[in-house]
Amino acid sequence: MKKVLLILAFPAVIFTTSCSSDDNDPPIVAIDPTCTDGVQNGDETGVDCGGSCTPCTAAIDNPASYTFERDGESTISFDGQTTRLKMGDELLSAFKVETNTAEKIQAMYAHLEGVMDFEDADLNASDKNIRSKTAASADYFSANATDQALIRADFDGWISAQVTEVFPNWGVVATAGTAGQLADGSSTRYVSAKGLEYNQLFNKGLIGALTVDQALNNYLSPAVLDAGENRADNDENVVAEGKPYTNMEHKWDEAYGYVFGLNADSADPNADLGADSFLNKYVGRVEGDADFAGIADDIFQAFKLGRAAIVAKAYDVRDEQAELIKEKISEIIGIRAVYYLQQAKVPLAGETPAYGTAFHDLSEGYGFIYSLQFTRKPNSSDAYFTKAEVDAFLTDLMDDGANGLWDVTPETLDGIATAIAERFDFTLAQAAE
Amino acid sequence: MKKLLGTLLFLGLLWACSSDNGEAPVPPTTGNPEPTPPQEVSFERNTMLVNWADNIIIPGYEAFDATLLDLMTSFENFKTDASSSNLEAFRSSWLTSYKSWQWISMFEIGPAEVLDFRLNMNIYPTDATKIDELIISGLYDLSLPSNRAAKGFPALDYLLNGLATTDEAIVSKFNGENKEELLAYIDAVLADMKTRTASILSDWKSEYRNTFVSNDGASATASVDRFVNDYVFYYEKFLRAGKMGIPLGVFSGSTLPQNVEAFYEPEISNVLFLEGLQAVQDFFNGKHYGSDTSGESLASYLDALNTLKDGEDLTKVINDQLNKAREMVETLDAFRVEIENNDPPTDMLLAYDEVQRAVPLFKVDMVSAMSISIDFVDADGD
Repeated sequence: MKKVLLILAFPAVIFTTSCSSDDNDPPIVAIDPTCTDGVQNGDETGVDCGGSCTPCTAAIDNPASYTFERDGESTISFDGQTTRLKMGDELLSAFKVETNTAEKIQAMYAHLEGVMDFEDADLNASDKNIRSKTAASADYFSANATDQALIRADFDGWISAQVTEVFPNWGVVATAGTAGQLADGSSTRYVSAKGLEYNQLFNKGLIGALTVDQALNNYLSPAVLDAGENRADNDENVVAEGKPYTNMEHKWDEAYGYVFGLNADSADPNADLGADSFLNKYVGRVEGDADFAGIADDIFQAFKLGRAAIVAKAYDVRDEQAELIKEKISEIIGIRAVYYLQQAKVPLAGETPAYGTAFHDLSEGYGFIYSLQFTRKPNSSDAYFTKAEVDAFLTDLMDDGANGLWDVTPETLDGIATAIAERFDFTLAQAAE
Repeated sequence: MKKLLGTLLFLGLLWACSSDNGEAPVPPTTGNPEPTPPQEVSFERNTMLVNWADNIIIPGYEAFDATLLDLMTSFENFKTDASSSNLEAFRSSWLTSYKSWQWISMFEIGPAEVLDFRLNMNIYPTDATKIDELIISGLYDLSLPSNRAAKGFPALDYLLNGLATTDEAIVSKFNGENKEELLAYIDAVLADMKTRTASILSDWKSEYRNTFVSNDGASATASVDRFVNDYVFYYEKFLRAGKMGIPLGVFSGSTLPQNVEAFYEPEISNVLFLEGLQAVQDFFNGKHYGSDTSGESLASYLDALNTLKDGEDLTKVINDQLNKAREMVETLDAFRVEIENNDPPTDMLLAYDEVQRAVPLFKVDMVSAMSISIDFVDADGD
């Protein structure tokens, strides 16, 4: 029964998008709408398009900067994303104040409107929070409450571990099996008994679980862009109630906001990459690697063209750009995971291993590996790595000995890095430098 | 249904596979040029290592250790009588010791590396706020990595020169209500410096000298290869960048005058730089510490290899470049004054450029002649 239905569904889709259905209409009354007569008639909103004909597509007007207006008013808005990125930056600082309680940091993570969790009063007034958007995309988690809960438990756990394991040993030098502080160049790092910096796990993990997941698997997804009446409204330029933008435009901009939400000039965000501690910073870092120079502009151009395509109702172009963004942003995560795993080998190889430097690299690497489960292969419903694969990498990273990173071998680092690089369109050597 | 799913999956797999075909078949490369193959030359690396250890490094540590003893004596006098004249004497000993430090800061190998010597002695800018807090609390463990920016020479700079704007006011602090806490803190800072130095010197004189000298091969872990890396790293990161480039804003885009060495006594930033530059050059030429005699060195090694740079003797090219850098720096006002009073600080930038020009001579020309690979990379910075 299901088989039959499915087969029937395909031609039906093709049929309704075609205008040929009108060809057989008797051409008696001149005012009847026809989609092929070269005249705007009937309920058409343009010549032979709109209304009961196919939607009107205009030539795509791709502006030089990310600037879109309707009736002289900007249609770009991503306040919610900017707010969460700011909350994230304050939250990360809270990991470095050893007098903080777990309740305080957790409250920042799961902020409630009006509670004085942050320095910035605007953030306190906001009804937004980060935790409810952690592992919360429509594509990956709307029907996977189990993984969502497990992932949120990881983030909650890193907060409490920082407070219960690391804070009590803030004034102690870390050794294998004992939490405490380590020198990393002129910086000081605070690690768990196994060498992990929980603030780095939290930070780099959120790059995946919040920014990448929300942008790629939620806002750039047709399930969200075309939700409800979004497409019909966009076709007819019906704006969201009281707003200058259509819902579809807004969804696209919300994806943009998770990448560029704190840049000084949202029209030209690549001018100050590194404006937040999340994805933006690492778009900048990968851009700074000669092997990948141009990737920041590729991402920006795809966002811009995709947005212009929405204005022009050219949804195929929109979706092509979305796929490109998914590929490039996923690559950023893969490149940084490999980069840190490879970088860490240098300080570990010295006659006097620089554990603080190595563990800092590896904690960042841990977070980027974690984030791989939120990446998105273009034209696919899958991440580059499943949660199970990610979990296996992380177990592998920590199980060379009883003391985790204190015991990790270069072979383990190479093994994981190679396995990651192989699945992407870059080489180990390109990412490593 | 299953069949259809299978077909779709198969198509998806096909697609996924083809996406990897675009991978460019570029062979893995490293950032460093391939070292040239070893040449047949009559140069004994062991003799050079002996000269370094016995005539430069150990005497350098001994001299530095002695200046610390003098510094502690001056402090004892100041502790007994916190007068202006004793403050002057204390400062003078501090400067002598700080200058002596510039001759050994580059030897971050072996026991110094284990003790993270350089960053325990000389992180600047110092953290004045933290120092104030620690003094008031009276509770501190100066061996912690997180307290490195609150001790060493820069902390003494703050405590001797930066507690107040006039000498009278500084002296009165040492006779005021927090007198005991202040003196106790300086005691702790000096003890930390002396203990580390004594431990490193003693290691060199017992075990490490022979370990260092006997590891005389040519491999990434041999003493010469490792030390040359440390030496070039010092020149590039600490002498060039730390003392000039960072305060000039070369890496940040805006000037950072608060990052000069000896910020609270800015007339000596240049003096400390010039000491460091002379130490680098004397080490290059194998000049014995505090003497005019020379032994086997990087310079004589290059000569033995008959290394030319654009037809010129590389040893001479390097010495000429270091001399030129020195001449340029000698004409400058205090670094802090140059940076604060000129926008952009053109004269100091021009001098910096000459200091920079020696970097590739060391890091590319010299090391490739010696078949040494540079093993350090620029840090990620976060």
